[in-house]
Amino acid sequence: MAKKSKQVFGGASGIRGVDLAEVERLLEFMQKHGLEEFEYETSSVHIRLKKASNQSSAPVQLISSSEVSGPAPTSSAESAARSSAAGTTSDLHLIKSPIVGTFYAAPSPGADPFVARGGRVDVGQVLCIIEAMKLMNEIESDVAGEIVEIYPENGSPVEYGQPLFGIRPQGKK
Amino acid sequence: MFRKILVANRGEIALRVLSACKELDIRTVAVYSEADRHALHVRFADEAICIGPPRSSESYLNIPQVISAAEVANVDGIHPGYGFLSENANFAEVCEASHITFIGPSPELIRMMGEKDRARIEMGAAGLPIIPGSDGVVPDEAAAKKVAAEIGLPLMIKAAEGGGGRGMRVVRTKRELVPAFQTARTEAEQAFGSPHVYMEKLIERPRHIEFQVLGDRQGNVIHLGERECSLQRRHQKVLEESPSMALDAATRERIGCQVVQALRKVRYSNAGTVEFLRDDSGQLYFIEMNARVQVEHPVTEMVTQVDIVKAQIRVAAGERLEDAVGSFQPRGHAIECRINAEDPDTFVPSPGRITAFRVPGGPGIRVDTAAYADAVIPPYYDSLIAKLVAHGRDRSEAIARMHGALDGFVVEGIKTTIPLHKRILAEPDFIAGKFDTHFLERLAPVEAK
Repeated sequence: MAKKSKQVFGGASGIRGVDLAEVERLLEFMQKHGLEEFEYETSSVHIRLKKASNQSSAPVQLISSSEVSGPAPTSSAESAARSSAAGTTSDLHLIKSPIVGTFYAAPSPGADPFVARGGRVDVGQVLCIIEAMKLMNEIESDVAGEIVEIYPENGSPVEYGQPLFGIRPQGKK
Repeated sequence: MFRKILVANRGEIALRVLSACKELDIRTVAVYSEADRHALHVRFADEAICIGPPRSSESYLNIPQVISAAEVANVDGIHPGYGFLSENANFAEVCEASHITFIGPSPELIRMMGEKDRARIEMGAAGLPIIPGSDGVVPDEAAAKKVAAEIGLPLMIKAAEGGGGRGMRVVRTKRELVPAFQTARTEAEQAFGSPHVYMEKLIERPRHIEFQVLGDRQGNVIHLGERECSLQRRHQKVLEESPSMALDAATRERIGCQVVQALRKVRYSNAGTVEFLRDDSGQLYFIEMNARVQVEHPVTEMVTQVDIVKAQIRVAAGERLEDAVGSFQPRGHAIECRINAEDPDTFVPSPGRITAFRVPGGPGIRVDTAAYADAVIPPYYDSLIAKLVAHGRDRSEAIARMHGALDGFVVEGIKTTIPLHKRILAEPDFIAGKFDTHFLERLAPVEAK
């Protein structure tokens, strides 16, 4: 066990702060549970192990994906979007916010909105602006299709992952 | 007083800050990653904002996202907790620039204490005893040899931007010095972005003793006594207690005064912890300072009855220490066991769903935790799931209460280090108060299955 203290100072292993014996145990753990990918982070170390696999499978989530319907966080914008998102049909492609900020439907106050319900959009077309820390971030569509739903109110706060638009994917304009 | 505070953290410390805010009638905002959607801090805050995917770097460490959330929620204060952005001077500056009060010391002080070689020099100049070592960063091999000749072997080469037990190398022979110096610089650059290293004499069998301090904006500083944190595994604290069995009243008084005077000189404000190593002869040496609230703060809270987190908020709001803290009298002895979601023998992390969770109670028992039955411990963050603290009139009573509490703490579905703590508490050397930072290494390892 004396070896352990040497590895603390990054000696034999050559990888600072990482105990290779521990990494081996993590690999066994992955093997045992049939995991493709494993990520572990503390304040002092960040390990990510990914199996080279022949199938292009998505990384197995270690977190159960069954979203239990517990009391939702009380962000009014979010719950409004959630309840309308719950009512969407499954063929809608959701554009979700990649950042926290304020949702603006138009390029400037008083201007026409970028898009409207029923309108057609192309890949790369600007759908809205999300303002974060005084910077205006243009959010582009990643599909072509018809705008079916616009979820947030103009000027309301949005969070990461919050649905912004529901688009029915269709061919190009 | 603050109107609304955003807690830029997760887990038990986020809950801790939320409860302090609630007591002060301050509205709270939680931020969370997608992995924490069902976390308690999200549930118990008045408002909650999702700021990113599970990875810390894309969520809890993502300054633009955190600041954006603070602006969108219109808060006037941010509490960073510990870890994450709590010692990020840049983050503190961005808060200031956004007209949001960062609940912690100033960016300049965070920076000073974050540059470990500089903190050592400043605190030395301010009157604290420091370990014999280099005068700041060691620039090259020739300088390294010179320092080694002055301070003798064995010695430690430490990353200037390191800290918290990271980026340190031991040198025991002259032959090792130059290669270790070169490797240390490379490692420091890769890990912390700067190759700067400094050197210190190595203290064998040290005890780790730290002083809790609080400062206000008016230049007043007090200390709330010390904690002994010698029980560590790979420089991560496992068990802490207060007071330390290794300090007599005179030493406590003397070092406490020196600490307060040194911090007054640099105008330290808000919470912090000044860390020392104690050698065999009883001499204490300053090693580093953490400019934030610490994981083990409950130990001091139980002994002094001072609410450190509330005090942080109050001094950040401009209150003087005498109002934010008031008078206090240390009473009794407290021990904290850090309970991690890890195998108690191999320390392999054990994330997953908790199927049963029963927390102990009774006189003198405090549990700080964000875990609950049916919770999923995500694999993305650190493995601390609960802090179990026992207070008694004296150390024996604290130990006895901790025994009972550990026995009564039921966690199923994941592995925890509860069995390790039971072993520690049964060790004669622990009970006798005879230990140093190598205690856990020496604790007879249990054969892994």
